[in-house]
Amino acid sequence: MIDRSRKPISGLVGLLAVAALVAAGCGGNSGTGTGTGGTSGTSGAPAVDLVKDGKLTNCTGLPYEPFEFEQGGKVVGFDIDLVDLVAKDLGVTQDVVDTPFDGIQSGADLNSGKCDLAAAGMTITDTRKENFDFSDPYFDATQALVVKKGSGLSGFEQLKGKKLAVQNGTTGQEYATKNAPGVELVVFEDLGLMLTAVETGQVAGGINDNGVLYDWVKKKPDFEVSKEFNTGEQYGIGVRKGNDALLKKINDVLAKAKSGGEYDTIYEKWFAKKPGS
Amino acid sequence: MAMSRRQRARVIRGAQYAILVLVVVVVALNTNWQRIRAAFFDLDVARGMFPEVITIALKNTVVYTALGFAFGLGLALVLALMRLSSVGPYRWLSRGYIEFFRGLPALLVFVAVGSGVPLAFPGTILNRYVALMLALGIVSAAYMAEVIRAGIQAVPRGQVEAARSLGMSPAKTMIWIVIPQAFRIVLPPLTNDLVLLTKDSSLALFLGSSINQQELTQFGRQALNQARSLTPVLVAGLCYLIITIPLSILSNRLERRYGRGVGAQG
Repeated sequence: MIDRSRKPISGLVGLLAVAALVAAGCGGNSGTGTGTGGTSGTSGAPAVDLVKDGKLTNCTGLPYEPFEFEQGGKVVGFDIDLVDLVAKDLGVTQDVVDTPFDGIQSGADLNSGKCDLAAAGMTITDTRKENFDFSDPYFDATQALVVKKGSGLSGFEQLKGKKLAVQNGTTGQEYATKNAPGVELVVFEDLGLMLTAVETGQVAGGINDNGVLYDWVKKKPDFEVSKEFNTGEQYGIGVRKGNDALLKKINDVLAKAKSGGEYDTIYEKWFAKKPGS
Repeated sequence: MAMSRRQRARVIRGAQYAILVLVVVVVALNTNWQRIRAAFFDLDVARGMFPEVITIALKNTVVYTALGFAFGLGLALVLALMRLSSVGPYRWLSRGYIEFFRGLPALLVFVAVGSGVPLAFPGTILNRYVALMLALGIVSAAYMAEVIRAGIQAVPRGQVEAARSLGMSPAKTMIWIVIPQAFRIVLPPLTNDLVLLTKDSSLALFLGSSINQQELTQFGRQALNQARSLTPVLVAGLCYLIITIPLSILSNRLERRYGRGVGAQG
């Protein structure tokens, strides 16, 4: 589609710059495919196409500590370190794009060519799989409930008639919508806004992935994770459908990191414990 | 190349048409219409949004805007009067407020009200309607205050002098003579501010909301999560136009009608 649309534009550029600009804006709806800057680390493998030459662009939603968050002017975290491994293997650097989670998980960001991949503490689900591809799982998670200490709230039953904070587009929102009848769900844009609402008592509790909630209660001793729902979720890295070269590369790097011990090192760095313990 | 003035005008007009046609043709040829239709005009997705998009989302957008506008208008009037006050500190305060909030992105004000207020005053439980009224009102008041001030100043001096010579006190003159006429003058620009405010109400999504509190933008984004097309965005956008286009037309009408009246007085 791109190749076809490029030709008439370039022919007219000299004639009518305005028209070409307008047309490019409308016609070039997937800015990908033109970049040939795929630097393949291993010879023989198909070159990986990148949306920006020399950069591995990662769409993620901040803050999602400890998976991705800002620290000292830089985006860091578990996901970021893993993607860095992929970037290193490709011989490029990682470029992190902070974007609302619903754009990531609906596939809009990947399919519109905004990013090469999305490592965003994102659970592999069937709905999401329809819109883009997932790498092999790299993290086990479950939904959990965070409440004020001593509130005695440890399940949906006790939350009936109360407000429960969820994050837009997350599996936690989906889980609560299905399993918490009678609980008033309050939707927040990101984890930061959601946890502020929990902290200031605007809501009785919040539901999100256990990894981020455990990290938060470490810093907020007045709060606790009162329940894990054992939803048995696994995180995967999202890749635009059809970008098999990149997908394979990610899976190779993940497998290598797991067998080589780099994965464990990164895991311990962010969770202060060994995987599976 | 001796062209008469009329000939030259014709050539230039011809060129303008040619450019227009060329742009339309180039855009039409380079657009993948099927893809656009799938992305924006998925009728099944659109149908699935009804009736909630009207009964909940559109209704909430109107309610939030109305709340913000009511509070904003009251605050704006106070600010405008302070701005024109003979007491220095009032003028400075009003000036400071207007410059401060006119210069800030509305989004920051929403986050400050939604998260900042409860953090700063532990134990406050912000009612959502109050929070929205505050956030939208604080922002719109800054804009409307300047409009109202201009309106008050545009009321001919003779009106004040006549009222005073009839024995009305300055306060009475302001309330019964100046402000009513000022509002007539500023009605068109105020309607414009209402249009802007309608769109700003979309920032409510940063306050967090339950399903039946969602306004159009959040409703559209929510629907986007379930649909594989951008249609919800389009539907939400059209709903905004249901509100804003009649307001714009109203604003134009008012301008034509009242603009004439004021012109005759001046």
